Amino acid sequence: MDILNPYNLQVFTFILLNSILAISIYITLSTGQLSLGHAGFMSIGAFTASILSKQADVPLFIAIIIGGLAAGIVALLIGAPTLKLHGLYLAIATLGFGEVIRVILLNMKITNGALGLTGLQSIGNYLYDFEKAIGLKAQSLGISVIQMKSLTTFVFMVLLFAVVLFLTLRLNRSRLGRAFEAIKADETAARAMGLQVAYYKMLAFIIGSVLAGICGGLYAHITTTITPDDFNYHKVVEILSYAVIGGSEVVWGPLFGALVLTALPEVLRGLAEYKMLMYGLIMVGVMAFRPHGLIGADTFQKLFLRRKGKAGNEAKEGM
Amino acid sequence: MFWQQLVNGLTVGSTYSLIALGYTLIFGVLGIINMAHGQIFIFGSLVGLVLMTSMQMPLGVALVASIVISAILGLILEYTALRPLRKKNVPHLASLISTIGFAILVEEAMHKIFGADSRAFPQSFGDKTFDLGVIQIRSVDLIILAIALILMFVLHFWIQKTKMGKAIRATAENTDTANILGINTNMVIIVTVMLASALGGVAGILIGMAYSALIPTMGMTLGFKGLAVLILGGVGSIPGAMVCGVLLGVIEVFTVAYGDSSYRDAVAFGLIIVILLLKPEGLFGRKA
Amino acid sequence: MKGFSLLKSLATISLGAVLMVGCSSGNSAAPAANGGSTPAQTPAAEGAGGEVTAQIGVVGFLSGSGAAYGEAQKAGLELALGELNEANKGKLKMELKFEDSGGEKEGAINAVNKLINQDNVVAIIGPTLSGEMFAAGPVANEAEVPIFGISNTSEGINDIGEYVFRNSLPESIAIPTAMKAAVEKKGIKKVALIYASNDDFSVNGYKVMKATAEKMGLEITGEATFSNGDVDFSAQLTKLKQTNPDALLVSALYKEGSMVVKKARELGITATILGGNGFNNPKVFEIAGPAADGLIVATPFSPEKQDDKVQAFVKAFEAKYNKKPDQFAAQAYDSLYIMSQSLLGAGKAEREELRNQLAQLKDFTGVSGKLSFDEKRNPIGDAVVVVAKDGKFVPFE
Repeated sequence: MDILNPYNLQVFTFILLNSILAISIYITLSTGQLSLGHAGFMSIGAFTASILSKQADVPLFIAIIIGGLAAGIVALLIGAPTLKLHGLYLAIATLGFGEVIRVILLNMKITNGALGLTGLQSIGNYLYDFEKAIGLKAQSLGISVIQMKSLTTFVFMVLLFAVVLFLTLRLNRSRLGRAFEAIKADETAARAMGLQVAYYKMLAFIIGSVLAGICGGLYAHITTTITPDDFNYHKVVEILSYAVIGGSEVVWGPLFGALVLTALPEVLRGLAEYKMLMYGLIMVGVMAFRPHGLIGADTFQKLFLRRKGKAGNEAKEGM
Repeated sequence: MFWQQLVNGLTVGSTYSLIALGYTLIFGVLGIINMAHGQIFIFGSLVGLVLMTSMQMPLGVALVASIVISAILGLILEYTALRPLRKKNVPHLASLISTIGFAILVEEAMHKIFGADSRAFPQSFGDKTFDLGVIQIRSVDLIILAIALILMFVLHFWIQKTKMGKAIRATAENTDTANILGINTNMVIIVTVMLASALGGVAGILIGMAYSALIPTMGMTLGFKGLAVLILGGVGSIPGAMVCGVLLGVIEVFTVAYGDSSYRDAVAFGLIIVILLLKPEGLFGRKA
Repeated sequence: MKGFSLLKSLATISLGAVLMVGCSSGNSAAPAANGGSTPAQTPAAEGAGGEVTAQIGVVGFLSGSGAAYGEAQKAGLELALGELNEANKGKLKMELKFEDSGGEKEGAINAVNKLINQDNVVAIIGPTLSGEMFAAGPVANEAEVPIFGISNTSEGINDIGEYVFRNSLPESIAIPTAMKAAVEKKGIKKVALIYASNDDFSVNGYKVMKATAEKMGLEITGEATFSNGDVDFSAQLTKLKQTNPDALLVSALYKEGSMVVKKARELGITATILGGNGFNNPKVFEIAGPAADGLIVATPFSPEKQDDKVQAFVKAFEAKYNKKPDQFAAQAYDSLYIMSQSLLGAGKAEREELRNQLAQLKDFTGVSGKLSFDEKRNPIGDAVVVVAKDGKFVPFE
């Protein structure tokens, strides 16, 4: 297979994007909170970034970061009251939040309603202009301009993903990560140990939301067009599936989910029709047979005991 | 216009109440939110509708078919998505996810079997309109209102007075204790899930009559409304579901009539968020 | 190159698993290492005996909620393919490669990318939705591959770029035609509007309706919205009924639109109802029943049109699929005829040459009327105004 084929690069780009999205839901889940509002935060990030980059000529990456922060601020506002709620209620409240955001976006002038925003800058074009400016041209590498742009987008996403993953792993091993874990295991016990449960839950919720917002901005500038309906209940189900299939005990779980669920419809294009059906089966099946997901903390440890250092393969082993 | 819109709101609202009853019943006994409820009953009523349109069956047969199919789907739900989760020590959100999954399966099945189109409901006696001067009311609107009320009272009576009802309440209180006391809790749960789904089957046919059509995606949209009513009324409260269903319908219709129709879809969830913040146990709920 | 070594190491470290599953082929351990050249793009080869073989990709909404549209397009294309390959034997052989978008942007982008870079098609027909075109069009345009919309009615589709074409009349042509005809014949002065506010197609139609009404000096008595998937329209219609309009303008897809029409009549609204392109589907009669009578719609295609070409097409379509074609099938059918004409004009299956030929298209007569492109490759054509009567659309007089 030809890695420089723009088609393959495009698919990998989407895989990486969804992987970051998977990390975002993982972080929220790591304190035991199920948020069904990630599509809503994504849309806030996407529209903020797009409006800034298109109408205010803010540099692309700054716009995407501001989009993420905007999602974070909204998360802060709605998180303060909603995080008091327990389990089911939080899930329903955040689901409701996503729907309300969608309706508001549909009614706003600046988002152009249901028509959404089109003709957004693409990350590939944006980065290629930089590359040209520093004298790095497609011709000098012996590849076409399109390949160069796809490759640039891909490399950018790889780097971004690597940074996010690195930070997440660091987070897991930090004091913060252990606090998250304690809260997930037993909230009452965590509180008894003197942990500021509300603070940590809020923090996890905001980090997850900021990441989702950034993903929204990236999505907007990869597809170059967005409408509020891109972030509807189906998107919620999709994001949730990443965490469900892989499990949310270790970060590799959701990543595995994002990888499989994005790649599979492309590898087996004939099966694309059954994509939603597949999500449904996965949710019912995994919950019935392995409610903690296919990849659990123990899978990971077993793997490491057996073959030390061979990271990157655990996804396959998890099957 | 006010009175006519109020009638519109009451009709819409009583269908919401009927849907919410199913959610309430299952939550009351199992303590879970059945995200597949909407899809299940729309599937059932679509079967009923197809029998009516392509086989010229009478409305009664369609109603029975709708009830039976919905109840069977409820049974399948219990065996695939609910029971396996009761046996293990699973995260408390697992049932929410597995019922979301089941909902998707049913919805996709509907798309494959019935297509994505809306299906018209045949003209029926329900179309007869009474003109009362300021308002016009269709007989189907009256029927829905009446059936919703009757079902609520029957349900209430049945749960409070009959032996099965007592078993259900005992199971709702504490499954393990009920088991020890000799109640076949698995049986109780099966009955509850099937009953809730069958109620949905009734609601589905009535909704088809009220709106003159059924669409597979109605399962999700109406399911969300029922969900909203469940939370608003206080989970597990039957009177809460009834009152808040009607309330939501009226508020939605008045949003359209005197506000901006494009915000209609935000009403249900907007109210949920408000109520969860102000009174998380719902308008009619008991404090946990 | 710095970029490459970086990519190589990163790809192998953190993405080993990603690539392995994604590629589904074994040798992807160091994917970017041999990143030199790819073969020059040769979309199609010359067949034996001067016969040109052209591979054309089709991206359609073939699964999911809008699968009916994609299936209609596929049927129209396949019918045209059979006829054309028979007629052009020895000169041109076209092959169609269908890809499903599932109605999603990512799906459309991936499908277009695959058709261009993996299947090396000479041109792409589709995708079905305007939203998909806005996402996938730039990809094809950038790759300099002609992409031909057959159902994209949004404004601004052609602004995507030089390589983007469409034969679907924008709503800005179809709706005013119908409104003018209705206003003249029925003496309409006041109109009320209702549309699906969460659907780009319907919102587009609504904007055109509103602009046209303002231009024609009609009084707008009220506006209301609903959402795709809604079933209850009584509140909106009760509100609009109070404003007492002469005509109700409905911009929606047929699924919800037919239900709006039915409910409006049920509530005793007697105003003329005028709908957008979305109503142009035989299903309207199934859903709305007798309430559909009198509904006025502008359409590029009507199976009732007394025209030899149209009737031959309807007959062939019915023989093959056992149902009447709708406009999606008709426009898909026409698009392949346009492709074949342009490919024959080009004399070879080459993207650039095909684009130039397409841009020159003039007075093409298809089953969905006469078609030319203006300098911005926007279709210029005429719409037929039809009215619903006894279960079918007949020309409006």
